[in-house]
Amino acid sequence: MPQGRTGVINYRCPHCLFRAIDYDLLFDREVGAFYCRRCNWEGDEREILTLYAVYKTQYKDMLRRWTIDEIRDKDESDWDTPAR
Amino acid sequence: MSEFILNLIHRPELVPEYIDTGAQEGKSEELSKREVVSESLDIFRLQQQIAHDQGLKTTIQMTYPSLFSDEACELARADHDAFGDEIGHTFLGLNSREFREKYGRRDPAIWLYTMEDKRRIVDDSFERFREVFGFYPTSTGSYFMDAELVRYIKERYPEVEIAVATCFEEGPKVFRHANNSWYTIMDGSPWCPWVPSKKNIHAIADSQEDDIGIVAVPHLSRDLLAIMDNAGDMWGTHPQNIIRGLNYEGDRLPYMYNIVDQYRVLRDQNDGYSYNLVYVGPGWMGKAGRWEAPYRVLKKSYEDFLAYYGDLKRDGEVVDMTMTEYARWHRAHRERSGPEIALWKDIAFGTKNQAFWYADSRFRVQVDLKMGGAITDLRPYASKLERPVGAGTDANQDASYPFVVQSRYRAGPFVHYAGEGAIKSCKARFGDEEIDLSSCRTLGRVHRRGSVRVLEVKPVEVEFHGLTATLGTEYVFEPNTGDIVIVRRLLGLSDANAVVELDEFFTGCWGTTEYPEDMRGCSLTLRSGDGAEESLPYEYLSRSLATDNVELVSAVFPMVQTRVSLRPINGDASVGTRRGYCEEGYSFAPNLKIGVTASLRAGEELVTCLKVERA
Repeated sequence: MPQGRTGVINYRCPHCLFRAIDYDLLFDREVGAFYCRRCNWEGDEREILTLYAVYKTQYKDMLRRWTIDEIRDKDESDWDTPAR
Repeated sequence: MSEFILNLIHRPELVPEYIDTGAQEGKSEELSKREVVSESLDIFRLQQQIAHDQGLKTTIQMTYPSLFSDEACELARADHDAFGDEIGHTFLGLNSREFREKYGRRDPAIWLYTMEDKRRIVDDSFERFREVFGFYPTSTGSYFMDAELVRYIKERYPEVEIAVATCFEEGPKVFRHANNSWYTIMDGSPWCPWVPSKKNIHAIADSQEDDIGIVAVPHLSRDLLAIMDNAGDMWGTHPQNIIRGLNYEGDRLPYMYNIVDQYRVLRDQNDGYSYNLVYVGPGWMGKAGRWEAPYRVLKKSYEDFLAYYGDLKRDGEVVDMTMTEYARWHRAHRERSGPEIALWKDIAFGTKNQAFWYADSRFRVQVDLKMGGAITDLRPYASKLERPVGAGTDANQDASYPFVVQSRYRAGPFVHYAGEGAIKSCKARFGDEEIDLSSCRTLGRVHRRGSVRVLEVKPVEVEFHGLTATLGTEYVFEPNTGDIVIVRRLLGLSDANAVVELDEFFTGCWGTTEYPEDMRGCSLTLRSGDGAEESLPYEYLSRSLATDNVELVSAVFPMVQTRVSLRPINGDASVGTRRGYCEEGYSFAPNLKIGVTASLRAGEELVTCLKVERA
């Protein structure tokens, strides 16, 4: 079997990422897939990018630009009483 | 006063952690390849240019190998002369051929050396600095600077005024994130600049005598909510952090600006003052890209990031200072012993979650509003625990300040098979039902009454079968006393004649990681109103003590030299007295618990004082 090699892009194992571990994938050119040396994940670039997109769903405000006033006022309307 | 201050730090690291991939893979032991040095200096030059293009001055922290590079030293001199950049010093990036030939050591981190080696390295690199530049540096730093190291530096080189002294909450979470291989285990410091104690760098000094003699700044300014349950290396004022956390799309990183703006909001809470530290090395901006991001995105992210600070500076919204300028400003404008506070709001996950942080010379406290305003992390600075680190010490790599409460490392609310986790919370009881307020998600506000800082917790509705109780909470911090007065108000009951029991409790343990430590040696004491006192030594035997008329209930953690106590401080309850209890815990739930309970009608309150002191 061929030596696993890092690709041009430094992809991290998506399953390890989900459990808060950064672990670089290696590429098996015979199989044509990336694989993780730590866990049992294996897949191609499309699968990596799909799982990255799932990972990013935790950031519901990823593309939101808060103004300073919006941060200051955030959640204030939930109070029954005005700020002192 | 309205000051938002930026310290921007670059370093000409000649052997960055990430560029030399051959060395990382173990294929090459040559750690000073010309192409690596050349690329690294090019990146440093570019980072400097990006800052200067925005009219921002930097502190250039010279690494040990860079002091042997004529090119790096000349770059530093030129930027000092042209832009007023400070030429400072760092213990990061020690590893180099010169270093290894001289010391025969491979550790990249100053705090992990023996004290004897630390002294040699300090003398060697400070004298080399003087040889090159003609003066000793006034600023230094590393990811961590232990108190023993800083005391030695101050003794030998009293010119030093400031250091990057810890990497905020870079502890077990970051260790795990880096596949259990990144030995920067240093939870427990303040999140903002502070004057450290002579005894422990994490702890804020409590007096002139205890003042270690420098101002400490944290490595990067972190997201104070996200880091509670995530590795800090994804959540700081560094574009690479944000890219590492995949909190971006394409070349858009709005979070990068949002975190800066939340720090600007913190001026409202600290007399108009807030602070950011941006500290980047060259390694992340290599041509090969970093994580999944190509060079183009990395470069653009840094240009955009500093352009934002540049805009703020032009608008008079940020003041850029060198590190030493900041040290002098801090000494002139901030109290040596604090307090510093921060009510942080979620700007990433789309929730209403909030976290409150408080730090002074007695403790650092984290209150999780999502957990009903429970205290979920407590570091007892009052003990000023002497805990040397590095080779030859007991702690060695574990440079964290121990906690007595940590609800994520040690379970927190009851969510598992048996026992209780570490948390400072309150339970409400009615009939056979018991509800922990940590299950009542809420919000917070901060106020100031004279010197006192108050965290007001939005009232929550506790729903029993057949009864709804509305409960309000206030945390009152009297700076540098070790006291937190906790006010629980029973604001309303759906049945005006009902009586609800409140149980103000502290479940604690000690440690620095997720794994249990030996609790033998801890003790519990219960003092009744008649002066009678009973004690329990901790032996994992599930024992408990109780009294119907409690004056004080306390726990001692000798390993952290800390006593935590609870005492009722109001006596106006119409129903019954203040009862007190303590519980020992057992091997499956290796914590201890102290508590004060009272039965209340609508309109009444239970006021207790949680005290943290040196034991």
